[in-house]
Amino acid sequence: MKMHRRTVLKGLGGLSLSLPFLEGLRSAKEATAGEALVQPFAIFMRQANGVASAQSTDVGDEPERFWPSSEGLLSPQSVAGRTLEELDGYLNDVLAVGVDAAPFDYGDGHARGVLQGLTAMGPTVIGSGGEADAAGESIDNRIGRELNPDGRESLFLYAGLNAGWMGGACQSYRAAGDRRAPLHNPVNAYALVTGIDGESLSDMLVERRQSVNDLVREQMAALMANPRLSANDLDRLELHRSAIRDLEGTLSCMLTADEEAALDGAAAGYESTDGDQVLAAVRAHIDVAVLSVACGYTRSVSIQIGNGNDGTTRYRNLDTGEAMENYHYISHRRESHGADGAIIPDSDLLHSMVDRQFAQTFRYLMERLANYPLPQGRLLDAGVAVWHNDQSQGPSHSSLNLPYILGGSANEYFRTGQYVRADGVGTHCQLLNMIGTAAGLRNASGGDLDDFGDPSLPKDPLPQLLA
Amino acid sequence: MAKRDKYAIGPALVLALGVSTGCYTGIQELNGGVASGGEGGADDGGDDDGEGPDGLGPEEELPVPTTRFFRLTHVQWENTVQDLFDLDEPSGLSADFRADAREGGFLFDNNATSLEVDEALWSGYQRAAVDMAEIAASDPSILEFIAPDTGDETTRAAEFIRNFGRRAFRRPLTDAEATQYVELFNRGPELYEETTGFAAGVRLVLEAILQSPNFLYRSETSEEIVDGVIPLNSWEVASRISYFLLDTMPDDELLDLAEAGELEDPDRVQEQARRLLENPRAHMVVQKFHHTLLEVEKFQQTAPSPAFYPDAPENLGDLAVQEHDLFLAHTVFDNDGSWGDLLTSTETYVNADLAAIYGLSGDFGDEFTRVDLDPNERRGLFTQIGFLVANATSVHPDPIHRGAYLARHIACHSIAAPPDTVPPVPEGDPDATNRETVIAHTEAPGTECLGCHKPLINPFGFPYENYDSTGAFRTEDNGQTVDASATVALASGAVEVSNAVDLAEAMATDEQVHQCYLEHWTEYTMGRPYDDLDEALVDRLATASVEDASVKELLVEFATSRPFLTRSTEEMQ
Repeated sequence: MKMHRRTVLKGLGGLSLSLPFLEGLRSAKEATAGEALVQPFAIFMRQANGVASAQSTDVGDEPERFWPSSEGLLSPQSVAGRTLEELDGYLNDVLAVGVDAAPFDYGDGHARGVLQGLTAMGPTVIGSGGEADAAGESIDNRIGRELNPDGRESLFLYAGLNAGWMGGACQSYRAAGDRRAPLHNPVNAYALVTGIDGESLSDMLVERRQSVNDLVREQMAALMANPRLSANDLDRLELHRSAIRDLEGTLSCMLTADEEAALDGAAAGYESTDGDQVLAAVRAHIDVAVLSVACGYTRSVSIQIGNGNDGTTRYRNLDTGEAMENYHYISHRRESHGADGAIIPDSDLLHSMVDRQFAQTFRYLMERLANYPLPQGRLLDAGVAVWHNDQSQGPSHSSLNLPYILGGSANEYFRTGQYVRADGVGTHCQLLNMIGTAAGLRNASGGDLDDFGDPSLPKDPLPQLLA
Repeated sequence: MAKRDKYAIGPALVLALGVSTGCYTGIQELNGGVASGGEGGADDGGDDDGEGPDGLGPEEELPVPTTRFFRLTHVQWENTVQDLFDLDEPSGLSADFRADAREGGFLFDNNATSLEVDEALWSGYQRAAVDMAEIAASDPSILEFIAPDTGDETTRAAEFIRNFGRRAFRRPLTDAEATQYVELFNRGPELYEETTGFAAGVRLVLEAILQSPNFLYRSETSEEIVDGVIPLNSWEVASRISYFLLDTMPDDELLDLAEAGELEDPDRVQEQARRLLENPRAHMVVQKFHHTLLEVEKFQQTAPSPAFYPDAPENLGDLAVQEHDLFLAHTVFDNDGSWGDLLTSTETYVNADLAAIYGLSGDFGDEFTRVDLDPNERRGLFTQIGFLVANATSVHPDPIHRGAYLARHIACHSIAAPPDTVPPVPEGDPDATNRETVIAHTEAPGTECLGCHKPLINPFGFPYENYDSTGAFRTEDNGQTVDASATVALASGAVEVSNAVDLAEAMATDEQVHQCYLEHWTEYTMGRPYDDLDEALVDRLATASVEDASVKELLVEFATSRPFLTRSTEEMQ
């Protein structure tokens, strides 16, 4: 059996991964003076189970460990002792928002959170709990569908055990009930973005691909020519046909062999239950995500971490270095996926440790974007990174005051450097419309996006978030 | 479509059990609380009056409109590639395919309308095709298998394309297709640096065929209507039956029969179904089906508390999976057993660790051996260790999850999701039994929980209070005698049981439980959700199953039924 190059290279991780410099991009994109080199984009990174914010539960009162001490300007002082201090050094680029989602009846707080998170929609079937699906398209998919070159789908990436509650990956939807499948292994995501896998780019390779693709397209067309086909059959075949990509003669967005090896090493734990390995894989996904938006492969990427309740990942105790109980238990404050089970001592502190590791991972995303220089500004300034959570808090499973931490102003669309509590049912939907606008989506009249999400929810911009 | 609501409890049973209608996604009244055959269904089990002249079984059993393009599941892709190239073991290349998205409410991995090829999967297919083509073109034994040396390279290439294409597409290539692949073959030598000559042509053709939609989809293009249905042609039958029973491409015998048009004869299909069930791959299919239905993957996530169960083996979950697999294969294939046997058998397989949990005396080692368990304590799948430990907390049995699973997946009751926020279990009487604690938590008057838990969930779970978190039998809980009695909602009415042995016997003779099992098989077999049109077939097979038809015989009946061998004249909506 032939070994893939990526397999051979596995285990060589630990190298620092530097992404391609813009010079390569410049030649590929042929940017002209004054023209944006990189189109606006959005990268989403999802956390489950809420955060360790102030609350009273049946196991006692818990102090604020996440949000800044006051609304308004973010400063080292306002985030001191709070999770968001992990973003110190980038606070001017951060917009921390607490938004309220709609109380849709999903029959389960986790389903309501993760399925509504990027859709702002209710369920296809009311009260179906762990078997629920969202009743509409997610914003990451819409950005890709409308803005990506050739209608290419956005990237949907996943890290953690792809099973369990909600069936694993579940936050990205093409349409009502049409859940997208994620790329799990970051190495495969990289291969998708570059179009090749361990092969040397050559005229022969390009021609081989072209010859095969031409024949396959012809066969697809023959199948689709049957006038009796159902809409579902036609839709699926069309999705298949549109997925067939030819290989460009030049690729500017490839990593070097050492960089690929580093990616490979970091990616290895993509289906682990060990939190350190999962978050390493997330960082590898982030490397691919940043590469893909920098190279114009896609205008949006969503990265889901853990299944519906992230019920299998065991993150690290920052004090002891040991693996903690699974995250879902910690968020419940009990040794249980339900409401029974023994109380976990200091579980709010443990939850905060999980929050901090997510904050560190989001910081990594911001750093990768910031380290991409553009002729004017940084890649970080050209789009928006979004660290979002399904719930505000674990025990209550509340959809009020959901943490949406934004990094980057999207060309000065967002007013960064502040903390805003945007209360009122539907502010979550308003924020998703704003993120869509920031990434480049427009309504039918060419104005700001205002038609995304459940029709009953508000969609106008939140003025306090605008630059 | 969800499973039929006929299994929702009828009016009499609603009153008897105190079921809240809020517990269901829908309730349809039944005649006397007993499941009926339904309009147009086979109501007398065995009456051949409705048998069509075409040998396809009762005429009221009709095909459901379905897709014409069944994308191979990843398992099917892997098996098919292994067989195409006669590999000793799977290539492993499908491991890099992105996993398919789960579809809410559908248990299995083969719902055809949701099996899509997006860019991520296309990329995976492309890489796998490139890798497999390189492997095949550089391995003389594989090359000789797929393209035997006939001396003349032109003839050899043409025969390779015809023969390999027929096997990969599961039908003969058209002349136009063959011509296109010959042209591609001829370009091979100029498009590779490291592969030359004949092998280069083979390599390029393999890359193309393995990316072809005619390989990636099992297509059904028949359109001729005969007696109100569209009979599948022989090639389509060969693929349906092979992917159903073996999860792989048709073998040479099936392809030859297809070429001769003989699989349009249901008797030949029946012969082939019986032959295929002797193939070891059929064991894997039956195992995969039951792994999904019985949530066997949960077995491995079990972790009894070392403080409470210091003798429990660390790998209890893995051992439970082995026990399950051996029991299943023995019952279905060695004993030609039935669903009733799976529910009530006292046989199982144990090693020393499991023997200790079962309280068996004797000489046991690491190897698993067949044993007979105490019939007063153990009956079938749900008193075996896997189900019991997978549905237990680390300390206590979990009658809620045990009961909810059985009510939903074995009796096919529709049960709504629990409330959004379940309050914590109250600090209760320290002397209370586990059952008493659960009742206090779920059956308090006036609560939202009561409607589902008291009549449905808890009665299916309490009979298993005799088994602790390791699956060991117990007669006492917290110093009190275990109460494992319950009144269980089955098609035959409100059935009083004393324990899990009683419940196993009751389920094994209950038509609803057999219909439920056949509905799951229908979804798996047809690759789509259950539909009302399936009722006639399911009822006929369920009647046979209650009468102890073997699982293998049920699969043969599926494979020779009208819904399996024909298409609807309507296209899927």
